[in-house]
Amino acid sequence: MLDYAEPVTKLIDELQKMPGVGAKSAQRLAFHILRAEREETDRLIEAIQEVKDKIIFCSTCNNITDVDPCRYCTSPGRDRRAILIVEEPYNLVTIEKTREYRGLYHVLHGALSPIRGIGPDQLKIKNLFERLRVEEVEEIILATNPNTEGEATANYLTKLLKPLGMRITRIAMGVPVGSDLEYADEVTMHKALTNRIEL
Amino acid sequence: MLLTRIEASGFRNLEGFAQFGSGLNIFYGDNAQGKTNWLEAIYILGNTKSFRTSQLRECIAFDQQQAVLRGETLRGSTTKQIQLLIAEDSKQLFINGKREALTRYLGNLDVFAFSLEEMDVIRGEPGQRRRFIDRGAVAVSPRFLNTLSRYNQVIKQKNRLLGEASQSDNPAQYISQVEAWNEQLVELGAAIHDQRASYVERMNQVLDQNDHGRAIFGAERITVRYRSQLEGKGDLDNYADLFGERLALRLTAEIAAGHSLIGPHRDDLEIMSDGREVSRYGSAGQQRSALLLLDLAQVSIYNSIYEESPVLLIDDIDAELDRGRIEALLSELEGRAQTFVSTSRRAIANRYRDRAQTHRVERGQAVRETGSYDGVFVGAGFDNDAIDQADDGSMSKPTAG
Ligand SMILES: [Zn+2]
Repeated sequence: MLDYAEPVTKLIDELQKMPGVGAKSAQRLAFHILRAEREETDRLIEAIQEVKDKIIFCSTCNNITDVDPCRYCTSPGRDRRAILIVEEPYNLVTIEKTREYRGLYHVLHGALSPIRGIGPDQLKIKNLFERLRVEEVEEIILATNPNTEGEATANYLTKLLKPLGMRITRIAMGVPVGSDLEYADEVTMHKALTNRIEL
Repeated sequence: MLLTRIEASGFRNLEGFAQFGSGLNIFYGDNAQGKTNWLEAIYILGNTKSFRTSQLRECIAFDQQQAVLRGETLRGSTTKQIQLLIAEDSKQLFINGKREALTRYLGNLDVFAFSLEEMDVIRGEPGQRRRFIDRGAVAVSPRFLNTLSRYNQVIKQKNRLLGEASQSDNPAQYISQVEAWNEQLVELGAAIHDQRASYVERMNQVLDQNDHGRAIFGAERITVRYRSQLEGKGDLDNYADLFGERLALRLTAEIAAGHSLIGPHRDDLEIMSDGREVSRYGSAGQQRSALLLLDLAQVSIYNSIYEESPVLLIDDIDAELDRGRIEALLSELEGRAQTFVSTSRRAIANRYRDRAQTHRVERGQAVRETGSYDGVFVGAGFDNDAIDQADDGSMSKPTAG
């Protein structure tokens, strides 16, 4: 079988480097792009360029932002006594959408995973300690993901932070809404039951 | 729960489909025709794993890209279509045509098996026995599968970390990371230990009450005991604390070794016959009997929890048991399991003709024996073709190919 013309192969190769995109989906995306109106593809190119040109990481909390420090870090309306720690910027968005939390954030950009070569040095932990030196933080809320990597990260941070004396909490783990109670593992079930709330 | 029909394509040498009765089902035929393949197909359809190989891709027929198993189950009056697709490096699971995750798929068809390969549960490595307990425990508590898989994830991560640490010039810098993984290991490990120990305890109770089983298989009293690696090190009733203590104590040893040294992934199951270890002191016959009694115990536990029948497979039944024991075993199972047996002896197929659905297996096709018992369920894929041909006493032709 003949290969595609070189520009097409190149596009497929690039797309395939994206997480979660295999050979088949890369091919499908490439042909979608190929058939799309010029206007549509220009908008895509522009969006990608804009992200790379304008978006930076906040030097304080590591969130993605177009100004440094980011708007969360400088907002006078936020409670500066609490820092909530998440793995990824999109986790922050999820929490922000609930409008339940009014404190500050810290984004780690990942979670501990020896298998994927991610240790403490690969996470944005260092500038968290810098913040804790200058700011009067009373509570750290660990909101890493409820999987094995997120749990390990939360445990690791707890050990590091405990000696500093502030309150450390972990967001309540339990059975995620919409998932089957039947299939939550024993430990998750146990935690969900211990952390149950009165209605 | 009943398997009413199975269809295979691209799976070993199998071709076409077979329909089943709610009680006893017999596959008979010469060797290498595919009897055991049909049993394996049923096993894989239920458990998504084989009892013969750890490489599912080995089941794909030589000239095929993929193997597909499709089954129909009946629970109460609800039929479900379950399907498993095996490709070179993946498998896909479907319920009623919709792709599903493993945890949702398992439990739709719970299959236990007795086969020569399973003798490794008695004679093989401890891992075989741990898997034997885990299969039973997962069947009665599906969530246990998630606990096991989380534990395995943590062990993999921790082993990688310990490997790195053992190679490092400064292993001490890894300590707090290892401790972070150990914390989860303690929680999950304790859940696993407790679940297994209580399943084995339950098994013991069932074995103890099974006087009838003892009558079938000889006078020996089979007992089982969950043997934790931490036995003698402290209070196993408080496993989490003990495990945590031991992990702390062995931390530097684990770092030096470069892999994890303690945890329920090092535990074992003790199988005793009249107080003596069957694997060491039992004859081949005693070992087979012990395993059969354990399988029956798993079926009993299942029955008592779900008030319904699992599927039980017995491969090569006459190689394992004499005529009297076969008779006793099959009547023991009546009403307690949908049973599938394979045999190369026509005499056995004939003897159970009036109580079993019998399939003659030839070159991978399962041909329903005419005149065999029609213990099928109303409305669930009744095989009219086979019944129409029931009068002339000859074999029915394969209805699909
Ligand atoms: Zn910021």
